[in-house]
Amino acid sequence: MTQATAKASPRLIIGEGTSGADPESHASVTALRASFGEALKEVASDAIGVPVVTVDPSLVFQILHFLKMEASQAYDLLADIMAVDLGAGRPLRVWYQLWSMKNGRQLRVVAKLPLERLELPTVTPLWDTANWLEREVYDLFGITFRGHPDLRRILMPENYEEGFPLRKDFPLRGRFSRSEQTRRALARGLVDTYAEEELRMAGIVSEVAVRDAPPDSLPGEVRGDPLEGQPLLLNLGPQHPATHGVLRLVLQLDGERILSCVPHIGYLHTGFEKTCEYREWNQVVPYTDRMDYLAPMLYNIAYALAVESLLGIEITPRCRVVRVILSELNRILGHLLWLGTTAMDLGALTVFLYTFQERERIYNLHEAYTGARLTPSTTRVGGMLADLPPGWIDGARNFVETLPKTLAEVDRLLTRNAIWISRQQDVGIIGPDDAISFGLTGPNLRASGVAYDVRKARPYLGYEEYEFDVPVGEHGDCYDRFLVRFEEIRQSVRIIEQALDRLPGGPINIDDHSVVLPPKSEAMGSIDSMIAHFKLVMEGLRVPAGEVWYSIEASKGELGIGLVSDGGTKPVRCRFRAPSFINLGVLPFLIEGELVADVLAANASIDIVLGEIDR
Amino acid sequence: MGLSAPGETARSERHPLPVLESGRLDTGIPQNWLTTRLDYVINWARRNSLWPMPFGTACCGIEMMAAFGSKYDLSRFGMERMSFSPRQADLMIVAGRVSYKLAPVLRKIWDQMPQPKWCVSMGACASSGGMFDNYTIVQGIDTILPVDVYVPGCPPRPEGLAYGLMMIQEKIKGETLSSMAFRAEPEEAVGRPNLPPESIELVAQPFGNSTAQNRASGLAATSAIARPVDRRERLLEHS
Repeated sequence: MTQATAKASPRLIIGEGTSGADPESHASVTALRASFGEALKEVASDAIGVPVVTVDPSLVFQILHFLKMEASQAYDLLADIMAVDLGAGRPLRVWYQLWSMKNGRQLRVVAKLPLERLELPTVTPLWDTANWLEREVYDLFGITFRGHPDLRRILMPENYEEGFPLRKDFPLRGRFSRSEQTRRALARGLVDTYAEEELRMAGIVSEVAVRDAPPDSLPGEVRGDPLEGQPLLLNLGPQHPATHGVLRLVLQLDGERILSCVPHIGYLHTGFEKTCEYREWNQVVPYTDRMDYLAPMLYNIAYALAVESLLGIEITPRCRVVRVILSELNRILGHLLWLGTTAMDLGALTVFLYTFQERERIYNLHEAYTGARLTPSTTRVGGMLADLPPGWIDGARNFVETLPKTLAEVDRLLTRNAIWISRQQDVGIIGPDDAISFGLTGPNLRASGVAYDVRKARPYLGYEEYEFDVPVGEHGDCYDRFLVRFEEIRQSVRIIEQALDRLPGGPINIDDHSVVLPPKSEAMGSIDSMIAHFKLVMEGLRVPAGEVWYSIEASKGELGIGLVSDGGTKPVRCRFRAPSFINLGVLPFLIEGELVADVLAANASIDIVLGEIDR
Repeated sequence: MGLSAPGETARSERHPLPVLESGRLDTGIPQNWLTTRLDYVINWARRNSLWPMPFGTACCGIEMMAAFGSKYDLSRFGMERMSFSPRQADLMIVAGRVSYKLAPVLRKIWDQMPQPKWCVSMGACASSGGMFDNYTIVQGIDTILPVDVYVPGCPPRPEGLAYGLMMIQEKIKGETLSSMAFRAEPEEAVGRPNLPPESIELVAQPFGNSTAQNRASGLAATSAIARPVDRRERLLEHS
């Protein structure tokens, strides 16, 4: 397996120790061995050569503290916390995916928790981003994090009674019947949609939130006039035109100033990760479209790359270049929607009409290739759904030649526009250290001055062969995030131009018919192809047992796909580290102390898409 | 009806009409008036100035935005005035999947809209749960509120949405003020499911491709082509 992987994946992790197969020689593993010795239960290597260290659950905090604080380790970005349930009463696994900006190294720390003791120490003191990630693991798996400041359900309703959805013993459709689920959903009242301290702030305290509390346990002002001296509670969303979906923010206001902001998410929770466990490997592709529907092909491609790394296969040169073209087209697609809607939020409708015109042209390219405008499901494991249709290259070339004209128009409308500047500059500032601690990635992180781009840090699809710059901001405010994304559109145009020039010929799919379907003409002509076709269709693709956490640079940030296979035709665990989910966690930090109008500017500037936040 | 073509204005300025004793112009025609049915003129006004309340949640919401964009331009139907406040809306477009967490919000917004109101369910997820037959997605918003037009697709193209909206316009043509009983909203129905429990079980039964996952999720197997009548029988068997 390791041999095949080394040959197949040109994107092996940078850094000493990982190029070979032995994870024991990895610098972090030897350092951990020296400091913690017995606490390291197992050391292994995953499908792309990232060392996986299984540790004693009681020492997780100390080990992660060491890995973050020790100067030689400096794992400053906590990319992901996810849990895996293998079923059959086996212990749950919690993965901590780490990345060191300084050393350019990846490491995964795993804790195995027996079902009767699902408890871990929280790592929120080390990374701010752990707050939401741990809440999500608690919500979906029921693992408690000791010392977590705010351990509530995050995606499911707070009083959800059916259990922990991603556990293997939880049925796909839930435990209650559909009519009971509907009845309970509609019976949820005010108390169920606000946290208790929010109700307290709103002065609703005397009616609902304290029905069980003894009266002398309440603060004095609550017992008097409930509104006297209380901050104003403002509910924004989930149905609001400027929250880019069904995001709900509960703001506490002192006049126009924001005292605190609590995002409530999960209104679009779709159960992707659970549903994908019931789908065959290739059937997962249409689901990936519908997470980030603003740039769907990036998800398709990330998922296909992740499965291919588990299989240890290398895609054809033509396929690599085609995927680069589609990736960058979709990055432009995502950024254009962000540009249009952000400008619309701040009162400039014209830009929306301009950018949607350009989006329509990309939709036309999607449609010519896949037949769908928005949900193309374009990749298959081992290749693409088909080769590019005739004339498509000319269409793409025409698009990248004429897009800069529209960009120049938008540039003239916005970049030096006095209103635009005054709404964006010095609003929602975040510095580089905070940004890394909050786990920001993508344009949001780069706007704070950290030049971390997965395409450069761990090149995939041969991105190292393309010439492009990574724009970096200086102030970390909304205006810098605008400038960075705007420049990224231009850089994507540059990449597409280079890719179109070098697009090689040859087949688009690999030649292994145990992975991709043989061409229809062959399937009917030769018995071998017919058998391969039959087996793939009837049994499905089998992926060797293994695990991988694979990430690419999506339009919103680092998109990680965590896969676990047991050698069967369906994934055991299919985790999507959605960049918007992590990025949204920073919103309260950005807007506290600012004015109400800045909420929308800041919210728009971090470029969220609720489909992938709630998944 | 008070309007005249620009050319006529110019001509009447050149040749001013004589003024009668009552102060009116003498047009040579006794009186300008027309007759019509009240229903017709009200429906004409309603269907050509619908104010949609876009309840866009997911992918379909993006296609809805595309429909409001310059290429497809729903202003042509008198619908460019999107009303994000339900109190001033008369057409709800539910575009995208609706989770059980969002269901009370959806129902509340529907209850806040004044009558007469119509609802378009855009896309497979809103209409039936689509490809998400799982623990969190409502299996069709018609379990929560009455739907007038379903637009199929995943997501539907903007042309599809425009066609659905034209069907709403057709539907409005047939309405009459003399029978508005079905628009009554009894107080006890507010915030309640739109269908009785047994009907919710009926419409939420697995269908098509999703029958394969019955085995995995431990439900009884159903036929992919079971018609509603068959389903009712089977439901009775299980109960």
